[in-house]
Amino acid sequence: MTNESQLNRAATLNPDGSVIKADEIRKIYGDIAAVDGISFTVEPGETYGLLGPNGAGKTTTMRMLSGLSPTNSGAITVSGIDVVKDNRAVREVMGVVTQHDGLDNGLTVFQNLFLHGFLAGLSRKDSKNRAHEVLEFFGLRDRSKSNVYELSGGMKRRLAIARSMMTSPKVIVMDEPSTGLDPQSRNRVWEELAVLKDAGVTVLLSTHYMEEATILCDRLSIMDHGKILDEGTPDQMIERHAPKEVTQLRVSPVSIRTVRAYLTEHNITFREVGALISVTGANGDRPDLSGLKDLEGVRTSYRAGNLEDVFLAITGRELRDG
Amino acid sequence: MNLAIPTPGIRRRSVTGLWLRHAVSFVRYWKFVITWVLIEPVIILVAVGFGVGKLIDGVEGAPSYAEFVAPGLIMGNAMFHALFETSWNAYNRIDNDVYETALTTPITITEITMGDILWAVTRSIMTVVGTAIVAALFGWLNHWEAIGIIIPAIMVGITFGALGFLFSAVAPHTTFLTLVFTLVASPMFFFSGSFFPISILPDWVEPIAWFMPLTSAVHIARGFALGSLDITHLWAALYMIALTAIIWPAAIFLLRRRLIK
Repeated sequence: MTNESQLNRAATLNPDGSVIKADEIRKIYGDIAAVDGISFTVEPGETYGLLGPNGAGKTTTMRMLSGLSPTNSGAITVSGIDVVKDNRAVREVMGVVTQHDGLDNGLTVFQNLFLHGFLAGLSRKDSKNRAHEVLEFFGLRDRSKSNVYELSGGMKRRLAIARSMMTSPKVIVMDEPSTGLDPQSRNRVWEELAVLKDAGVTVLLSTHYMEEATILCDRLSIMDHGKILDEGTPDQMIERHAPKEVTQLRVSPVSIRTVRAYLTEHNITFREVGALISVTGANGDRPDLSGLKDLEGVRTSYRAGNLEDVFLAITGRELRDG
Repeated sequence: MNLAIPTPGIRRRSVTGLWLRHAVSFVRYWKFVITWVLIEPVIILVAVGFGVGKLIDGVEGAPSYAEFVAPGLIMGNAMFHALFETSWNAYNRIDNDVYETALTTPITITEITMGDILWAVTRSIMTVVGTAIVAALFGWLNHWEAIGIIIPAIMVGITFGALGFLFSAVAPHTTFLTLVFTLVASPMFFFSGSFFPISILPDWVEPIAWFMPLTSAVHIARGFALGSLDITHLWAALYMIALTAIIWPAAIFLLRRRLIK
């Protein structure tokens, strides 16, 4: 691919060079601020993540950005379009994958794509051609004539993503692209998103999977209760908030009481999830667990700090608690 | 690059795109839909025209009961089609996020109602034309003016298409939609002059019957069917238009409240 064709694929930019710019946007339902004055920018070609538990305000943020939901205050600019003023124009240039696949059960796989493209403004011929292309790319060609309700969850999700590609958008927002998928389907979706990224598409996605955010996102924000708590690359965030290393103890039921007592006695902070106890030493050093060495049914391992730890450090809660 | 198309105004592709979606879906299921478009109304037509008609000597202003009842049944049936499309079917489209997906393209709520109502009109025309041809073959539509029944068919599609949204836009579940039939469709089907002239109703019921928009549609259709158009048919048409001018904006308001959060 030449530089020139790469340029052609780039999105129209905002005056400040970004593709998406949210400035102090706020959404209030009743007396609850679902989104409470958040700001961020997404640069061209970047995959940007909003990471947070359910109810953090991710979906509402994405709906406001894609012109589907009015803001109470704040400014949004996407590809030079003032979204608050002209929510129709933003939907011309942006691909949107909504949280629920929103597939049309009255239509076949192909018809879902073709009619979406037509509604979006493609000519019938262009929409047909594009539908074939997109089906090929997403490996759904042999399901072209299937009813959508016959598809597996993973295929439905990929079809929903395929649909957002009908107009060849340069910027896409995806609300939880892999929620509810089995690991295999999730990997498949991630591979396809990687291809879009290579093609220069700017992606904003929301997720509550730490792993997804780590793998896909160039930069991300951690959201909770409608606010952005911190922003950066996954590595920066881990460096800033997570311990370098976390010691994990897999403890069998016979020893669990002894281990708890030992940790409490030695003032070592720990958290316990299922049969796994995570321990972080002071100043990032390995904690002194020598007293547990000879205990039966304790296996010790070490892992690097991750976004899960970041979330815990910032909010005091587990990400998975939702 | 000028991407900014003005937000106000109607984008024609939104309307044709949605209409095409309904047409494609309709064609997929035509074997089932045809039973409702044609077979069911013909059954009613035959039962009432040949059956009930045998017991009735005649109705004022019409040569036979069958000729009296045919335009009424045809309009009643058109009403069911238009109402069903924008209540039951539209509810399913709300529930399955079909509108939500459509809204990710440059479409507005107003255009969604336009596309759907245009399809309700299409269904109304299909069933009216189909059933009218059968009625004509039976000899129950004899005047050349009967071709004009297409006009009340369009009006029924618009008025009842808009009316159906008042239910789908607020329905919490599908059971709620039975109200469309108990509150709107059934009373209108029986009290709008399809089966008997409204003038034979008790005095206090007659104005209520005229309030129902289907009464106006049946009146207009009968004017065309019997070749007896006069100024009252114009009043009936204006009443339907005025009513639609209230119902349609209300439908847009309610649907917007439902879909744009």
